[in-house]
Amino acid sequence: MAETVTTARQTPGAFGAYVKNVRDTAKSFWEGMSVTLSYMFRKPITTQYPDRVPVPVRDTIPPRYRGFLEVDMDICTACQACERACPIAVINIDILKGDGKTTPKLRMERFDIDIGKCMYCGLCVEPCPTGAIQHTREFEGAVMHFNNLTLRFVPDPLVPAVPYKPPKGADAFPRKPLGEITRQLLAAWDAPPPPFPTKEQLEGSKGAAAHGKEKPAGLDPTAMGRTLAAKALQVKEDKPQLQKVLEEAMAGTDCGDCGYPDCKGYSTALAYGKDTSTEKCAPGGADTKAMLETILVSLKTGKLPDAPAAPTDGAPAPAEAKAPAAPAGDAPAGPPLAQTLPKDELFKHVLDAMAGTDCGDCEYPDCEGYAKGIVYEGQNDLDRCAPGGEDTRAKLFQIMLGTKPPPK
Amino acid sequence: MQGWVDSLIRGWGYDPATWPWTQIIYLLFMGLFAFIVINFAAITAGIFSWAERRVAARMQSRVGPNRVGPAGFLQWVADAVKLLTKEDLVPAESDKILFRIAPYFMMVGFACVFVALPFSHRLVVADMNIGIFFILAVTALIVVGIIMSGWSSNSKWSLFGAIRSAAQIISYEIPAGMALMIPVLLAGTLSTQGIIRAQGGWPWQWFVFNNPATFAAFFIYFISALAEGNRTPFDLPEAESELVSGYNTEYSGMRFSYFFLVEWGNMWVMSALATTMFLGGWQIPGVSAAQLDAMTGGRAVLFELLSLGIFVAKTLFWVFVVMWLRWTLPRIRVDQMMNMCWKYLVPVSFIAVLFVAGWMLVVRAAPGLATAMHWIMFVGAGVIPAAFFVNRVARNIRDTGDRFDFTSNW
Repeated sequence: MAETVTTARQTPGAFGAYVKNVRDTAKSFWEGMSVTLSYMFRKPITTQYPDRVPVPVRDTIPPRYRGFLEVDMDICTACQACERACPIAVINIDILKGDGKTTPKLRMERFDIDIGKCMYCGLCVEPCPTGAIQHTREFEGAVMHFNNLTLRFVPDPLVPAVPYKPPKGADAFPRKPLGEITRQLLAAWDAPPPPFPTKEQLEGSKGAAAHGKEKPAGLDPTAMGRTLAAKALQVKEDKPQLQKVLEEAMAGTDCGDCGYPDCKGYSTALAYGKDTSTEKCAPGGADTKAMLETILVSLKTGKLPDAPAAPTDGAPAPAEAKAPAAPAGDAPAGPPLAQTLPKDELFKHVLDAMAGTDCGDCEYPDCEGYAKGIVYEGQNDLDRCAPGGEDTRAKLFQIMLGTKPPPK
Repeated sequence: MQGWVDSLIRGWGYDPATWPWTQIIYLLFMGLFAFIVINFAAITAGIFSWAERRVAARMQSRVGPNRVGPAGFLQWVADAVKLLTKEDLVPAESDKILFRIAPYFMMVGFACVFVALPFSHRLVVADMNIGIFFILAVTALIVVGIIMSGWSSNSKWSLFGAIRSAAQIISYEIPAGMALMIPVLLAGTLSTQGIIRAQGGWPWQWFVFNNPATFAAFFIYFISALAEGNRTPFDLPEAESELVSGYNTEYSGMRFSYFFLVEWGNMWVMSALATTMFLGGWQIPGVSAAQLDAMTGGRAVLFELLSLGIFVAKTLFWVFVVMWLRWTLPRIRVDQMMNMCWKYLVPVSFIAVLFVAGWMLVVRAAPGLATAMHWIMFVGAGVIPAAFFVNRVARNIRDTGDRFDFTSNW
């Protein structure tokens, strides 16, 4: 537009500058308006997402895009490698154990992936031995309720999924086309949100202390407090042991609400008598407070508080849970199987003790490899079977050494 | 329209001069016409808001609102309903009475213009013999509304915007008035219908191609009208980056939408006025105004609609140019705006008036010169630049390897 007129001295004449300004204005109109008009007669480059696209957007993004996760339960070996790999506990797998004869050794009651929490790092995809868990290219996650963002790959816990037995030496697995399963689950996202919990439900869930350490359902804090108090009396002078007992009563979330960096700090302070307050564990709530009080009172008086009039069913439960899960029949000490059986028989026992998922976490290609390693190649490390967990560990120690496994 | 009502009363068998109910009938028809005109203004302003967004989108390689109704046409209805349901906020520290009535001043100033604006050969609310003078006078009410809204809001942004707007409108009234003087001189009347009748149906008979001074005057009027309507590149009163939103910062809901209604409705007003004064109005090529007057019956209705169509088409073209300018030019600075008015438009408009006055004397002495000048201007200033411009636009598309595509991706 009309610029500031340059002064008369710099130009041949003020009138020349004046006319030049008018000419420049007309020229810039001419140029500018021809450019904008030319764009008016071209095709807009905007893609009209989501409904007026020639192909679904997910099919246009690169194949290695990390969208929502998908698990093909038909080729999942229940090794839980993905669950262990997840840095933020997005994947939740509940395993139902069987004897391996009448029922499968492992079954999955639950395989949930919380897409709302997932950070799409892809660490779960890498350890999967069969490629059952994969990133799809699905990304449209608008839902009616946040809970709907949890993908449940085992839809009904009463019908647990049976793990896949990969054929020996296979390196390709019959996976369903990527994205089909997740898409089906996504279709359910349009469902209306669940009803708001009633007041009773809310109070019920508060009592059960859903955070932190998992406690058996129907746990009686009074009974557990008595059990812990009994333990504490045995190790009264051994402060580090006492601290461990005290820590068991806590929620185990390391939340730091108590003013100590973690549960260990708080329990240490209690064990050494530096702190006497039992009220600081916020996640544990009233349960933890009651248990801690029971323990501290019995430490002071030197005897257990009077048992409640009618012991509840829950009372023996924690004691059972504490005991190592070694088979009762093998308990009498004798020479371990490793010394009595020929190696081929021993190999069968060892292999039977394992989870059988061929996950490869033990750094052997499959379960057979690990079993061979233990029996024939002198592998001493019996801790490697991650899917089998405490059960497999206990069995392996029993078979190979005839002892209970050391605590982790 | 008074003549039409009179003939209606005569049709019922009364004499409008002596019949006692004449004034009542006049009043009823005044209400009816006001209702029609205000609704016309409001609806065109709404439609322009949609059109502007579509045009802006196309020019920026976007699509624009296209979901509500066919091609998004009902977007403006949705917006209007939304604005109607919004809360009508009045700031606590404001001058409440002025704050509330300011939008109505704008609306009144804007709606009054439609009284004298012609639509077709017979369709004009009132063909006043002071038509142009009336239009210039009532548009001044808009600046009153702007100042009132800016002052009463008691907010520095609003006041700055209002003061800028007042300075701008008052400055640009001068070149606009002088430019509009030129068709008045040529036609010898202030009546809008009279000025259209003084022109012809063919482009070389329009006032814009009458002589070089009228050609310049047309652009001076157009630029000044842009400035008076606060349109880009003269949208300093509502410069978002400097003043939040200018004089309407504190407004919300329906009162806010009045300001926008006026702004978009003003596009029709300025374009219709340009069409009336310089571009031959509703004149049908090849059919003179006298022939139109003589027509009766269905033929008259047909040609009436034809003249209406011609007027609306010309006006809509210039509405499009206003939008096109908005998405082409950046906002100019305050000093540039004032320079442009006082150093360029005002002197040139004065020279143009003097030139036209002299030219009229020359033409009276030698009538052949007038026709020659019409043709020279039409070809030299109309056809040739237009051809070059079209070529230039086509080259802009072709040179980037793109192709002409107006129909896809709507």
